[in-house]
Amino acid sequence: MRPLDWAVMVLTLTAIISYGLWRARGAATTDSYLRAGKTMPWYAMALSIMATQASAITFISTTGQGYVDGMRFVQFYFGLPLAMIVVCLTAVPIFHRANVYTAYEYLEKRFDAKTRTLVSIIFLIQRGLAVGLALAAPAIVLTVLLGWPDQITTLVMGVIVITYTVLGGVKAITWTDFQQMLIMMAGLGTALIMAINLLPEGIGLTGALTVAGAAGKLNPVTTDFSWTDRYNIWSGLFGGMFLALSYFGCDQSQVQRYLTGSSITQSRLSLLFNAVAKIPMQFLILLTGTVVFAFFTFIQPPLLFHPGDMAKLKADPAYPALQQKFDNAFRQRHESAAKMVHGEPTREEFKSAQRDIDDTRKQAAKITGGNDTNYIFLHFVTNYLPPGIVGLVIAAILGAAMSVISGEVNSLATVSVIDIYKRLLRPVAEDGHYLWVSRAFTAFWGVYAVVTAQFAKNLGSLVEAVNLLGSFFYGGILGVFALAMYFPKVGANGAFIGVLAGEAAIFALHFTGAASFLWYNVAGCIVVILTGNLVSRLTARTP
Amino acid sequence: MKQVIDEPPPFLGSWRRIYILVILYLVTLITAFWFFGKAWSS
Repeated sequence: MRPLDWAVMVLTLTAIISYGLWRARGAATTDSYLRAGKTMPWYAMALSIMATQASAITFISTTGQGYVDGMRFVQFYFGLPLAMIVVCLTAVPIFHRANVYTAYEYLEKRFDAKTRTLVSIIFLIQRGLAVGLALAAPAIVLTVLLGWPDQITTLVMGVIVITYTVLGGVKAITWTDFQQMLIMMAGLGTALIMAINLLPEGIGLTGALTVAGAAGKLNPVTTDFSWTDRYNIWSGLFGGMFLALSYFGCDQSQVQRYLTGSSITQSRLSLLFNAVAKIPMQFLILLTGTVVFAFFTFIQPPLLFHPGDMAKLKADPAYPALQQKFDNAFRQRHESAAKMVHGEPTREEFKSAQRDIDDTRKQAAKITGGNDTNYIFLHFVTNYLPPGIVGLVIAAILGAAMSVISGEVNSLATVSVIDIYKRLLRPVAEDGHYLWVSRAFTAFWGVYAVVTAQFAKNLGSLVEAVNLLGSFFYGGILGVFALAMYFPKVGANGAFIGVLAGEAAIFALHFTGAASFLWYNVAGCIVVILTGNLVSRLTARTP
Repeated sequence: MKQVIDEPPPFLGSWRRIYILVILYLVTLITAFWFFGKAWSS
């Protein structure tokens, strides 16, 4: 990074965090610290919800996904608007009326303390594992850019996030997220425009789309059905809807965002904004990845984008032959792409060269044992964007990372305090005590995130790793909330056993490989509902 | 349970109409993506 990039990055991040802390001044009660005193307007919550989902992973990994696999990943979000409608109809009014701090408090009101505690612990395990992944992604950025060791990068990121999260609580997080989301949109838009502008003369967006289309990258809707195919319209609509329902209806990191709303209307509007904006945003991120693919059709990329893996490959005896094969395939692809853009029938030659390139990259990855999907966009940004813009894009990536980590740390602390500490360990105390404990738990989970981030590297595409991890637990949690809201005859024991059965079913599906992870939520939720109803019937007392 | 008033939305008059609009928007988006894919992949 050049001095101008450093200046842009540091100024942007300092301004965002200062603004968030300024807006959060005077958070002197547990209610204002954990729920912002229920005063937040819809637009702040809407962008905060988007920012909490749009992590550094979204920038780094989704663009890489667009480059490698094309645009079909966007289908993963097709179920989200439907889920938002269901959440607006059910969870939002129920949680507002129950006047809860966490979604799991409602489970005790509906069932009993053991169901609330079980689901709270499942949340703490699942979200606790994910928070390390969220911190590992920006560590990749800083490691590539600065050459710092991973331990230092995660520590620096962690300390910044812990500072403003501990000091300002959910209000600081929401207003910081608001600013971060605006910077993310600016960074994303700039990266896409720059990628188009950097294409060779005479290519333009139309030429880029012609090239990406010929390579099979422009596939935002695929209708073929397979239980094991991760991304098609059916898994997106149904599996994606269940995942989004679990995420927005039952995951405290999201529920806490809209529980800060001043009314049901404000909370609903914030969710519906996401229903409308999320899919186009993902489409643009993936499109950026495919334009970067077109860019590297005309400008030769490295054989592998991960600098460490590339160094490892160069030390292997097979390297010269692989590089030669890659160079030849690149030349053939370049020539056929240039002719194709100008209307010549060279599509088959282009496809053949693309296959050779893919094969060579696969062979190289086999030797290094790594996956360079997360490094593609970073390589493009740091090597081809002009000074200042690099700083803005990196600030957007870091801002995205911080918004996710702060939201997750805050929700983990809230569940730890409200559902575990206050409920089980110390039910009666001064409000000031709970405020102090909330800050202490926030600091604890921040430190925990830094430590677990060390183990979250080299997991392939990080965005898939996060979604896969969520799918292990979301189905069970969604099922118990569905029982609570839609099955009034189901009692506490039915719900408790139902959750355990649902989780068992999900793990059985995973270890037998019977279905793609997007179906875990559907299966887990159905098993919880069926088991809950069955157990309640069997254990119902006759009058 | 706390008494919370369920207000109408600030536009379109009812939440039902807003939800229908969101579903229509989703259908339009998927259709547009399908045509986009067809147009550039052929």
